[in-house]
Amino acid sequence: MTEDPRSIRVDEYLAHPPAKIWRALTDPDLLATWLMRNDFRPEVGHRFTFVTDPVPGTDFDGIVRCEVLAIEPERLLRISWAGGPAVSTTVTWRLQPEGRGTRLFLDHEGFDPDDPAAQLARQIMGGGWRSRMMARLQAVLAQ
Amino acid sequence: MSTDVFGALASPVRREILSVLRSGPQPVHALAARFDMRRPSVSEHLRVLREAGLVSEQRDGRLRHYSLEAGPLQQVSDWLSPYERFWRAKLRNLRELLDTDDD
Repeated sequence: MTEDPRSIRVDEYLAHPPAKIWRALTDPDLLATWLMRNDFRPEVGHRFTFVTDPVPGTDFDGIVRCEVLAIEPERLLRISWAGGPAVSTTVTWRLQPEGRGTRLFLDHEGFDPDDPAAQLARQIMGGGWRSRMMARLQAVLAQ
Repeated sequence: MSTDVFGALASPVRREILSVLRSGPQPVHALAARFDMRRPSVSEHLRVLREAGLVSEQRDGRLRHYSLEAGPLQQVSDWLSPYERFWRAKLRNLRELLDTDDD
């Protein structure tokens, strides 16, 4: 589980130069190959969508609505990301040369920790009910 | 993540029932009294919670006791883990694309 309840951070070492990775992040056809179908253009302010299959029984219709927020060629790409439970989030890719390749960092930030279901789960799981159960068990055992 | 769990947690009454069960198992009539509800209504909420795996039922003669089940709540508590799995899978796709693309 990630430490910050509002974000996901993952990174991956890729044995390729930043230029090649940048192309995979910004060419719509390549993006479609590894991520999702899209009408992306590498222009700040461009609004576009990623399209995938809807998830039955959830509020995710398979469409992620995005806007390009920041571009620093071969270094950083930031987009807004709204789809399903990710109501108002941002996704940032950062490329950092490492050895003969590149480390790609991905930050997906801005999830709503006040979602009632998530909040209740944290309250119950984090509310020490495990320790209360243990205390009761100890009490029973001590009888 | 089970959508039943989120559906079950969408109701304030059911969330309240779960909070009450934190302090230990309760029989239906005690829950009904506590929530000032008719017993069939409470039973209906408990049925939804049971189907979502959030509570379990123990029979003790004619009495039925309900207990909180931790598993699905842990899933909801780790609510971002499906997204983390999503991104890890996508980054694997990216790595494969780059590794097979020779130019």
